[in-house]
Amino acid sequence: MTTKTSTIERNANGAVKSSSLREICARALTKSEKWDDKDEFLDVIYWSRQVFGIILGIIWGIVPLKGFLGLVLFAGISCGVVYLYAINFQNVDEDAYGGAWELVKEGFMTSFAGFLVTWIIFYTGLHYDTIMAAKAS
Amino acid sequence: MWSDTILIVFISICTAFLGEALTWVLVYRTEKYQRLKAEVDKQSKKLERRKETHGDSLDKSVKKKIERYEEKLKNNNRDLSLVKMKSMFATGFAFTALLSMFNSIFDGRVVAQLPFTPISWIQGLSHRNLSGDDYTDCSFIFLYILCTMSIRQNIQKLLGFAPSRAASKQGGGLFGPAPGQFK
Repeated sequence: MTTKTSTIERNANGAVKSSSLREICARALTKSEKWDDKDEFLDVIYWSRQVFGIILGIIWGIVPLKGFLGLVLFAGISCGVVYLYAINFQNVDEDAYGGAWELVKEGFMTSFAGFLVTWIIFYTGLHYDTIMAAKAS
Repeated sequence: MWSDTILIVFISICTAFLGEALTWVLVYRTEKYQRLKAEVDKQSKKLERRKETHGDSLDKSVKKKIERYEEKLKNNNRDLSLVKMKSMFATGFAFTALLSMFNSIFDGRVVAQLPFTPISWIQGLSHRNLSGDDYTDCSFIFLYILCTMSIRQNIQKLLGFAPSRAASKQGGGLFGPAPGQFK
C-alpha cells in the first residue's frame, strides 16, 4: 500500500525526494517557501483544511453557534484563510495552479463534511438537555 | 443519543475501511490496475506539461500530437474505469445490504440534533423515517452520509488510492468531461 509520503515522492516526476511529514510541516510554516511540486503544496492545503474544519466544528459545537450563520461563517473563514495563506503568506503564483478558485476549492467538500459531523456531534453531546428543554417549552 | 451518534461515526469508519479493503482485493492489487494507473498518471502529467508549454501554439503538428496524446489517455482512462467497475458493483451490493440493515436498526430514531435547519431538498434525507415536523432532528442516513463523505475520501487519500490530481483534471474516465480542448 502506498502512503501519503510516497505519493508525494512518486508525483515528483521521478526526482527522488524524501519529504517526511515533519519536513513538510516546517516548509508549510515557512513564509514564501518555494514549492517545486504543485501536488505537494495542494496536499498541504488539503490536509490542513481537514484539520481546520474539524477544529472549527468543535469550536462551533462548544459555543454553540446555530443556524445558517454557522455554515456561512465556516465557508467564509475556510476559503478566506486558504486564500490568504496561499497568496499572501506563501506568495504562490495562482495561475500556475489554474487560478485562485482551484486553490480555494481544494478539499473544501471533504472538510465541510468533516466540519458538519464534528459540529453536530459536539452540539448534540454537550447541549442535549438545553435543546430538549427549549423544545419542550 | 450521544452513543448513537458515536456509533454511527464508528460504523462509517468501519464501512469505509471495508469498502477500501474490498476494492483492494478486487482491484488495487491487480497488476492490470497498477499498470493502467501508473500509465494514466504519467500521461496526464505529460499532457499537462505539453499543454502548458505549447498551449497557445498554432502549429498543426503540435496540435495533432496533443490530440493523439489525449486520445491515448482517454482510452486508458476508459480501461481504468472498466477495471474499477467490477468492484463498484460488488461494493454497491455489499453496501446496499449493510445500509438497509442499519436503516432498520435505526428506523424512526433521532440520532442527533442539528444546529441548523436544513434546506428543503435536504430535509427529505435529514428527516427520513422520522415522525414529527421538527426538522432539526437528524436521521441515521443523513449523519451516515456526512461521515462517509469525509472519512472515506480521507482514507482513500491517506492510503494513496485516490486518483491523482493530474488524472482527474484531464478528464476523470468514463463519466468525466472529455478532454477536448484542442478539438
